[in-house]
Amino acid sequence: MFSTPLLDIELKLNADIGEFAGWKMPMKYTSYQEEHLAVRSSAAFFDLSHMGRLKVTGKIDEFDLLIAKDIKKASYNTMIGPTAFLNDKGGFIDDIMSYKLSDSEFLIVTNAINREKIVNWIKSNSNLDVEDLTFKYGMIAIQGRNVWNYIEKIDLKPLEFKINTKFLGEEVFLISRSGWTGEDGVEVWGSPEVISKIIQRLISVGVKPAGLICRDSIRQEMGFVLYEEDIGENITPVEARYWVFSLDKQFIGREKIVEQLKNGVEKIRIGLKLKKGERSIPRKDNKIKILDNEIGYVTSSTFSPYLNRVIGMGYINSKYALFGYSVDIEIRNKQVEAKLQDFPFI
Amino acid sequence: MSEIIVGGKYKVLKDRYYSETDEWILIKENIAIVGITDYAQKKLRDIVGVELPEIGKEVKANDPVAVVESVKAAADIYSPLAGKVIEVNQKLTDSPELINKDPYGEGWIFKLEISDRNEIEKLLSPEKYSELIKQREGL
Repeated sequence: MFSTPLLDIELKLNADIGEFAGWKMPMKYTSYQEEHLAVRSSAAFFDLSHMGRLKVTGKIDEFDLLIAKDIKKASYNTMIGPTAFLNDKGGFIDDIMSYKLSDSEFLIVTNAINREKIVNWIKSNSNLDVEDLTFKYGMIAIQGRNVWNYIEKIDLKPLEFKINTKFLGEEVFLISRSGWTGEDGVEVWGSPEVISKIIQRLISVGVKPAGLICRDSIRQEMGFVLYEEDIGENITPVEARYWVFSLDKQFIGREKIVEQLKNGVEKIRIGLKLKKGERSIPRKDNKIKILDNEIGYVTSSTFSPYLNRVIGMGYINSKYALFGYSVDIEIRNKQVEAKLQDFPFI
Repeated sequence: MSEIIVGGKYKVLKDRYYSETDEWILIKENIAIVGITDYAQKKLRDIVGVELPEIGKEVKANDPVAVVESVKAAADIYSPLAGKVIEVNQKLTDSPELINKDPYGEGWIFKLEISDRNEIEKLLSPEKYSELIKQREGL
């Protein structure tokens, strides 16, 4: 089991530490609802030190063949993402963010659970060098509707980044105008000591800490997927409606994507919105039905504090993708009504 | 001290009984008030829904009678004793988080009219329940 390098400061902040993807990470500090609403109304920060962070070095042509979006066309100091590494059947090896430092140096952020898999996959599919920076740096995201009221305004456009720069008076390795909440903000990598100092600064100006439970409810409101829940090696970007590829270039998995775009898909990812007042939460693999006919299954669900109702997502037979139509979800042998809808929920 | 703190974080009150399935039971004459323990709510983390039992329902000891939905999982709540459900905590319908905020007070779940007082002896004392938490947590 790995542990966030920020554990000492997390414990001082009364974090409820739990396990996620083989890491000891803060799950929550007060309640996920309060933390969620802080992101949507003011600002909060997340410890994301479990995310895999890799430096890839070598020929851009080789890297471009592995990655589903066009890394060659991307500008320097700009992120391309989310994008993905796919297998030859078009399934997700991982969904990633990619940072272009130069024509021969790239950073990527992987899902925690896929870090080692990706290191091995890149090495076995290319001559690229991979350096694992995950344990060298802590990483936090500062996100929120009013985030700039709490931190200095930085000179970065969305998806731009800087390396070896200063943030809140500290020397950080990387700062990017990015996040995974649907709100504005930055993601910062730095030594654990530096990130701990930044956390203290954030707390002193009123930015609340937010844990991984809140991150899960936040991402579901936006319709963002979680690897191994909503996507995996047997799901393609077309089925997931997760537009992480450029068709005007070659990459592993492209053939299957082209075939699906031409011929259509059998299953498709949809959003599920339960009635107000319903407090049963669908769980992974719960059946989705129309008039007793099983049409699909749930992959993620949560209670949205912002909408004050239960939301979720799953896959259904694509011919039933009738947004606005009511379906039943079988939860513990009970049929619970939900509406099919598109993302985002808010 | 009217409470035991296990492992520096789990509160066990001394004025009530406990079950092996993490319910607390406060006995007042022939009525048992039932909720889930501080340990249970911390393990479940944020609670977002409760399915309450029907008033008037006759239950046996260890029957599943309610469901607590957390962001993590749905957990069955078992009746610790045989009896009849005579009251449920309606506040939990709109504010299930009361179980997190005050598991031993405002977060109570149901009241039972006890039909067999001999069963009370089978419940765990606060000390025994504290030992059970220690065993589970490897403390």
